[in-house]
Amino acid sequence: MEKLTWEKKNKLKQQQHLQKKCSGTVKEKPAPKSQSSKSISKMLPGTTHKTISTTAKKTTPLTQTSKKKKTLSDQIRAAVYPVATSAAATVKVVKPRTVSEEKKKDLKNQHLREVGRIQTDGDADGKAKELERTLVQKVDQWTSSGMSELLHDGDGEANACGDFQQSVRSYLEACVFTENIDRAHRFLLSQHRMRGRRKLLNTDVYNIMMRLWAKKGMLHQIGRMFILLEEAGLKPNPRSYCAALECMGRNPNCSPNVITRCLSRMKEDGISVDDLFNQSVFRQDERDMVLKAVHTIQPDYLPGLNPNTSESYTSLVRDLYTQRADHQYPKLDFTQAELQERFQRQLSVEQACTVTIDSVETAKPVTENMTKMREQLTKHRAQWRTILLQALRESKMILVNTNTKDYRLNLYPYLCLLEDKEYVEIMIQSVANLPPSGESLRLLAADLGNRVFTKYAVRQKHQNHIVEKLANIYNTYTELLAKDTKEFNILPREKWCNLEMEQSSGPMLQGGELSWPHIITLELGTHLVDMMVKNLKINSDILNPSHERKLIPILYHMYTFRSTRQIGFIKPHPILIQMQQEATETKLTFDSYVMPMLCPPVPWTSVKFGAYLLTPTKLMRSVDGAVQHEELLEKCQNLHAVMDSLNQLGSCAWRINKPLLDIIISIFNDRGSDKLDIPPPLSEAPKIPQFNPHDHTYTPSEKAELRKDVVNAKRKCSEMHSLRMNALYQLSIANHIRDDVFWFPHNMDFRGRTYPCPPYFNHLGSDVTRAILVFAEGKPLGPKGLDWLKIHLVNLTGLKKRSSQEGRLEYANSIMEDILDSADNPLNGKKWWMNADEPWQALACCKEIASAVRSPDPTKFISNFPVHQDGSCNGLQHYAALGRDVIGATSVNLMPCDVPQDVYSGVAQQVEELRAHDAERGLKVAQVLEGFINRKVVKQTVMTVVYGVTRYGGRLQIEKRLKEIDEFPKDHVWDASQYLVRMVFGALKEMFTGTREIQDWLTESARLISKSGHTVEWVTPLGLPIIQPYHRARTQVIKSTMQCINLQINYDAKERPDTVKQKNAFPPNFIHSLDSTHMMLTALHCYSAGLTFVSVHDCFWTHALTVDTMNKICREQFVALHSQPILEELSNFLLKKYCTGPITEAKKKKYQEYKTLMQLLAKVPETGEFDLERVKESTYFFS
Amino acid sequence: MYRTLVLVMRPVCCHSIRSRSCLHKAAFAHRRPFSFCVPAALVLQRRAYSLDSLSSGPGRPTLGSSSQQSHTERTSPSTALTHRNLSAVALQGQSRQLCQYDFLDLGEVDENVRRAQSGKKKSHLIVDPHLAKLVTQHLEPEDAKCVILECNPGPGVLTRSLLNAGAQRVVALEGDKHFLHDLQELEGHLSGQLEVVHCDFFRMDPIGKGNMKPPVTSSEKLFTDLGISETSWTDDIPVKVVGILAPHQERSMLLKMVYALFERLSVYRYGRIELNLFISEMEYLKLMARPGNMLNYRAFSVLWQMACDIELLHKEPRESFVMSKPSKSSKKGKIANDHMCLVRLRPRADLFSGGLTPSNASTLLMMVKQCLARRKVKLIDRLNQWSPDSGSKLLSEVGMPDDILTGYVYPEEYLQLFQLMDKSQQFTQSWLYEEILENTQREGWG
Repeated sequence: MEKLTWEKKNKLKQQQHLQKKCSGTVKEKPAPKSQSSKSISKMLPGTTHKTISTTAKKTTPLTQTSKKKKTLSDQIRAAVYPVATSAAATVKVVKPRTVSEEKKKDLKNQHLREVGRIQTDGDADGKAKELERTLVQKVDQWTSSGMSELLHDGDGEANACGDFQQSVRSYLEACVFTENIDRAHRFLLSQHRMRGRRKLLNTDVYNIMMRLWAKKGMLHQIGRMFILLEEAGLKPNPRSYCAALECMGRNPNCSPNVITRCLSRMKEDGISVDDLFNQSVFRQDERDMVLKAVHTIQPDYLPGLNPNTSESYTSLVRDLYTQRADHQYPKLDFTQAELQERFQRQLSVEQACTVTIDSVETAKPVTENMTKMREQLTKHRAQWRTILLQALRESKMILVNTNTKDYRLNLYPYLCLLEDKEYVEIMIQSVANLPPSGESLRLLAADLGNRVFTKYAVRQKHQNHIVEKLANIYNTYTELLAKDTKEFNILPREKWCNLEMEQSSGPMLQGGELSWPHIITLELGTHLVDMMVKNLKINSDILNPSHERKLIPILYHMYTFRSTRQIGFIKPHPILIQMQQEATETKLTFDSYVMPMLCPPVPWTSVKFGAYLLTPTKLMRSVDGAVQHEELLEKCQNLHAVMDSLNQLGSCAWRINKPLLDIIISIFNDRGSDKLDIPPPLSEAPKIPQFNPHDHTYTPSEKAELRKDVVNAKRKCSEMHSLRMNALYQLSIANHIRDDVFWFPHNMDFRGRTYPCPPYFNHLGSDVTRAILVFAEGKPLGPKGLDWLKIHLVNLTGLKKRSSQEGRLEYANSIMEDILDSADNPLNGKKWWMNADEPWQALACCKEIASAVRSPDPTKFISNFPVHQDGSCNGLQHYAALGRDVIGATSVNLMPCDVPQDVYSGVAQQVEELRAHDAERGLKVAQVLEGFINRKVVKQTVMTVVYGVTRYGGRLQIEKRLKEIDEFPKDHVWDASQYLVRMVFGALKEMFTGTREIQDWLTESARLISKSGHTVEWVTPLGLPIIQPYHRARTQVIKSTMQCINLQINYDAKERPDTVKQKNAFPPNFIHSLDSTHMMLTALHCYSAGLTFVSVHDCFWTHALTVDTMNKICREQFVALHSQPILEELSNFLLKKYCTGPITEAKKKKYQEYKTLMQLLAKVPETGEFDLERVKESTYFFS
Repeated sequence: MYRTLVLVMRPVCCHSIRSRSCLHKAAFAHRRPFSFCVPAALVLQRRAYSLDSLSSGPGRPTLGSSSQQSHTERTSPSTALTHRNLSAVALQGQSRQLCQYDFLDLGEVDENVRRAQSGKKKSHLIVDPHLAKLVTQHLEPEDAKCVILECNPGPGVLTRSLLNAGAQRVVALEGDKHFLHDLQELEGHLSGQLEVVHCDFFRMDPIGKGNMKPPVTSSEKLFTDLGISETSWTDDIPVKVVGILAPHQERSMLLKMVYALFERLSVYRYGRIELNLFISEMEYLKLMARPGNMLNYRAFSVLWQMACDIELLHKEPRESFVMSKPSKSSKKGKIANDHMCLVRLRPRADLFSGGLTPSNASTLLMMVKQCLARRKVKLIDRLNQWSPDSGSKLLSEVGMPDDILTGYVYPEEYLQLFQLMDKSQQFTQSWLYEEILENTQREGWG
């Protein structure tokens, strides 16, 4: 002990001494005792000195317990530390001194090293300090610039009980919807009484009840609710007061005194009357009632209009929004009356929630067996309906009474939302759609649950009287789009917002409908599945009279096993499968949102409102149950540019290319064609080998082989079935709307990439679906249009990749004969089109060219045909532009060149060179590969490297390619692919140095951010906030009578981030967020130039006439986008997000990590010499 | 030549007994990575009784170089046991080839640990000579007709112990190239009792169809190479396997092996292969769980209990093993009492006597797996699902109550049930027979 205290004293002396001597500038009270470090850290707000001093002192208690050797060195470090930070130079003064104190030689050496390390530490520290200082300054600037809302989110608490709150609220809402006041009230009270649960409730939960009482005009009940709120320690919010005032408004003889009291108490709570109108969501006539109540006191009151004036656009689009003089927004080729009529049609489709259409298989001749089977099925369905109806009623009876404990959530209210018949219909529909190989219980349940929810959401809108108001606004809105009205100088979203503002009375269109927590959806779905499995039966002798007659269930529940996990499956009985297949029924029933819209979509005006008329749609798609994206979007104030671009993409009207559709259907109904990508019917599937397990003639290994064959055949069949069904859906939908004009509403994924909402049939689909879609609007070809069509055709063939535009045009002209032949005799002629990369689109293009050429004046030929312009390796283009990397930029066509550069060939060439070298050196694999390395082998890997493909994945891709080459020796596939992937990665690294640096920087940043316990977030240059939803998995168990479903939830923001995923996904996600930004910018500018524009990610479509304009805009916007300091802004954002929080100096290691992170984030990769403006001249940038 | 050597050595041995301390030191001084020096203390006990049965051996080539000969010329069983015990101690500084009569040095724990940890693949390894000897005793290696396959011997401590105990034929299947060299050196010093194959037993007969490269092989190739032929199921045990299951592969290996057993695929083609495996205690509890233990009674417990006589041979704390390629993050306290259990799984000779055949076994597997996916469901519901209205009849035939839960049914009862079902018309029409236990991640294992 003596020794220890001596040491302590000595150290302190040393420290003080050093400080006096070396750091006059550091004004810091030398800590007299180690305990005082705490108080110091409290005293001094977040400055650098504080951190350092405490770190130094923290080491003290540690050293006391350790051996002397260690103590000494620590002591020195502790002593040196504060000095080192103030100035690196002073450390040098310390060094000789410390050394001189040492006696032992080995110790001396150790200390030299120690000090050396400290010195570098000191340097680093100096930098860190510098950084922190600049950061503090920057934060001040940022907070004033109004970007702050995305940064410091208090999501911790709000999130903690989010799931539970959501469950409670959706339960209450469901009770409210069915007017089951008693249940709702009892439920809320029971939650309120349990202390543990009360803590989890928030004001909005109580508001739901108040609203209900307000409708009933029961003011005293609302008063009670206010008391409950107070009991729970919650404060009433504007919505609570709205309910109270609404109730007063409803009571004709409510005394003004009451209202005055309410208003004055509201004032005490710091809520103004304007707040009521701006921050509440009104349903039905709630708004008018509140206003009525307010008017009794303030007769002249007019609600202050929404101060929605955050019109601060990022510099990228500021001009677009503020200078619109020369903009000409496109109009649709419809009169206002026509559009209104279309709205009505769409509305009725969505109100019905499902659409039943004829399948394209109707065209097939009907056999006797088919009729028999169809009759059987119809008969049985009628029985099943009755049985299910009864079962549903019984289960409701049981549920309504069994719940002895009110605080537990019960499915009963969820089974009352729709008519009993509607539930039954949903169940019957899902039997018809069940694939023969079955469906996992979880997916099936989610599907059923979602259907119920969608239907409920639509009905809720009805109940809230939204439909009438929607019709009113939409009908006026059509004047913006119709051809017979005046020109407007505003965007659809702005028009819609204005209209909503004008018609502010009545319900709000965004009625604040809650989406259900994923678990509720699943529970409800499982309940329905259970009902189906238990009740749906059929006679066992229906197909084979020799079987003994008994009732057997048509669905059975079983388990399949994956590795050591077991997955519950619902499978249809073989008898049912056979009946369904033989009947080939001709009606298909879809959910209404599967169909394209019959009128222009509702523009996105907020995160929760847009796209379909009634069907709820998310602005941003996410995994079921992930809420972080939506929370982030809601916090974000200015998403206008993003929403406008989505609106623009949705505004494009489409039509069916009927001649093409007819050809495709004829092949589809015949025998399909694998070569042309038309899935053949199951009758073409390989027969499942019959094997009798009781046959003893087989040896076990033969049996194992046979079984493998059976399994493979089964798998093949189920694959074929799903492909066939998918095609059947696509074609049937297309056929159903063959004479119509239709629209695809759009939304986006969490990186901002846009997608059309209808899932089966859209322009993002396969070659087949793309071929049957054309623009509804036609435009003359103009002087260059025909040439563009021809070049487009050559692009579709995949030939002439390395030829110039002129070369491609020449080629097209040289094969005009083939083109015309294909157009005239697609199936019986020379079939030139069939060998194209994209045969169906090529055929469509041939037909278009033929018509144009044969028209009297091709320049005046009205063409509806979309011409595509593809980015050449778009991911690498963005990387090259970010890094201003000359070589990279040239190889992906950012630099103007006479012929297109082909990065794939370039890589292939380089790999070939290396291979030849290796082969010479006698490497076996290299020798085997001779003559096999080409563009095709490496293409996919090169393309996906940008998107973060790993060596493992890359090898699989190459392996696939090599297997396709028949001549390649199969024994060497593994070695060769392993070898090649190494070569490709190497070649890419050499060619794209800048890319690699940026990629590495992004990866490393994400890794450190994730390790520090945060999720990686960023904001695109258009202001779209993005968060990566990858977290460590947690399991949630959903119990039901049938089985427990284990949900692996890996998107829960409360869990720690999954570092591997966070880091691997960041570079590709970031690049995707950039390419989507580029697309959005192009879309916005095309719209203001009056162009038709749609996109398939990095492939842009427009009319042949406007290709040149689009190309110009596309290049300009690319330059504009990359002229922004994208990486610097990212760096700033990340620094601000992750490095300005309170630093926990508890552990030195933590602090060290924090420092490294800060330094890394601040160190933006350096850029090269590439002159971005050159992109504008580059022909092959997008071509 | 042999006799002379023995004669020469005898005095040496005697000498060593007398001067053990001196020898001990010598052994330490003479440390090589692959040392055959024996810590004297170890040798002493054995030698006491082994010296007298000294001279009864036929002339055999003793030099390591000549033990390269093919495996067919093998020591006859009767002699090897005795001779193995005639161990000798290498003299200080004397470097010579080892003969088969030498008592193999099991090494010092520290040294073994060091070697084990230098492995490149992650697995548990035996380093402690005492443990090795204990395992050896349980394996009864003196049974001459039985081949012992040792999986991933690593530093070869158990291998030597087995050989010392007189095992006639040990095949070391080493998956880690790193250990291969030393093992092969040992093989070279012996005259055929040990064969070393670069092969990972636990990755045998893989899923994919691609070309297999060592250490991945097919059982067919391995057994053909070793010259082990198929035997009838009712024959004696032809092969004993001893190994340690890595924690991450325990369950999947046990499943894979039991599937193979019922369908007589993979190694079970060659007869009743006996497994002697170290598994974690937690897995052991599940393996041995009895009906009514709803938490642990699983499909694979039923199947193993149905197919094998299971015996717990030994329990050893996990710390006794060494992880090759040790990882820093060890999972914290899965089970308070973290032991590894050496379990003998000896297939029953009468398994296929009562109507069960390798052909219909897949349906039995399916049935058991479906039944025990949940333990708290009524068996009758399951049966009715396969063949409506037949459950109650079937249950009464077996004499089980109607409301019995699947988790209360004994393995033998499942077998009995299956045999009844297999005879009945109704069940063979059921979808159960059309389903194939397919596991995408273990194709070919049914």
